[in-house]
Amino acid sequence: MSAKIRWTGAVLGVLGVALTLVLHWMVFFWVPTERTMGVVQRIFYVHVPAAWVAFMAFGIVAVCSAVYLWLKDERLDMAAVAAAEGGILFTTIVLLTGPLWGRVAWGTWWTWEPRLTLTLLLWFIYLGYFLVRSSTENPQRGKRFAAVVGIVGALDIPLIHLSVQWFRSLHPAPVVMRPAGPSLHPDMLATLFVGLGAMTLLFFSFFLYRYGLERVSQGLLHREVAEGRTPQPEGVLS
Amino acid sequence: MREYLRQVGALVWKDVVVEYRTRERVAAMGGFTILVGILFNYAIDPTAVEPQAIASGLIWMTVVFGGMLGLGRTFHLEEEEGAFQGVLLSPIPRDALYLGKVVANFLILTVVTILVFAVFALFFGLEFGRHPLALAGVVLLGILGFVAIGTLFSAISARTSMGDTLLPILVFPLMVPVIIYGVTATSSLFAGLPASEVEGNIRMLGAFAAVALAAGAGLFRYVVEE
Repeated sequence: MSAKIRWTGAVLGVLGVALTLVLHWMVFFWVPTERTMGVVQRIFYVHVPAAWVAFMAFGIVAVCSAVYLWLKDERLDMAAVAAAEGGILFTTIVLLTGPLWGRVAWGTWWTWEPRLTLTLLLWFIYLGYFLVRSSTENPQRGKRFAAVVGIVGALDIPLIHLSVQWFRSLHPAPVVMRPAGPSLHPDMLATLFVGLGAMTLLFFSFFLYRYGLERVSQGLLHREVAEGRTPQPEGVLS
Repeated sequence: MREYLRQVGALVWKDVVVEYRTRERVAAMGGFTILVGILFNYAIDPTAVEPQAIASGLIWMTVVFGGMLGLGRTFHLEEEEGAFQGVLLSPIPRDALYLGKVVANFLILTVVTILVFAVFALFFGLEFGRHPLALAGVVLLGILGFVAIGTLFSAISARTSMGDTLLPILVFPLMVPVIIYGVTATSSLFAGLPASEVEGNIRMLGAFAAVALAAGAGLFRYVVEE
């Protein structure tokens, strides 16, 4: 792993952890309690930033996949798989924190609410991405297949979003990204942005380390093949 | 353009003739759907649930599950003895190859879907409403979108070690819009509502099919290239 990737990843990671600690202090001791939902609303400062990061990661997967198919640059595929692994992690965080909140606020662990459903489907699209990658004998083929899954998934996400929205909505309406400006208390907004910053830093730290790891393992594979210690897998070096 | 259509037509004709002579997929899918109808009869308590009330959901799920059976076999014939190499070597653009497979799958699934409607009408005494044209539009656009996604991913799953078991995991998450707009529109029509009620659904199903076809035609070359 190159020193540049390692150091950037480490700096982002340390900043991310530090900011996460600040976030937890803010969430537990600083931010005012929401009037109707009470103390359980505080999970929002983890849940919403994790969701933003999960969808951003999926955007990175889609863009890197599309450009990978076009330019065939291995680094783009490595970036896509690194973003996908970060993305499934944050999607899992969203899916774990959502029901914890929903149990108290809605009285049920699970409901077929649009954004919940969309996030679960996103998780399954990521799952398909990894299954396709790992179930081909020819790694080049697996990378291309995964890229196709990433692109089609990204094209379908807006349609899934529209359809589940149309089907039923009882999720709290957006409170930040709305035409009239944020309706949150300024302290809550500040906490949310600290959460967003912390999650984004952590994501990019994971992303860089995973990217570096992928480069190392690909490089190792190429070297072993070149030195004749590993039989050439079908199509690897083409 | 004419040459392109002729190529797509030739591929469709090949698959339809193979299917007509072997009747492999239609027989499997048709048998499956009739058996599902029989099992549903025992799985649903008709005194608690009116079959008419849940018919559209049952029909769509039967079509999708039956469709997965057939879609999984889209490329089986070509996978044998490297026949797909021959198809790839022919001077046909990759997107024409994809569209040919989509049209052939669409025709086969249409036959199966008609069978599903007939079987469910017979078994459960269903009424399909007063707008057969709107119903046909909903169902045909819905299965076109399904087949467009399914054909692309069956080309992928056929060439992985997981094979057909991978196909539903890839396809089902993406099928949510088709199921939502298809089932709600079918329910409305079954309930005797006017065709204008489902115009929005038909537009969305059309949009889904268009996006899926464009994506499949554009990306198919990356799936089959070596």
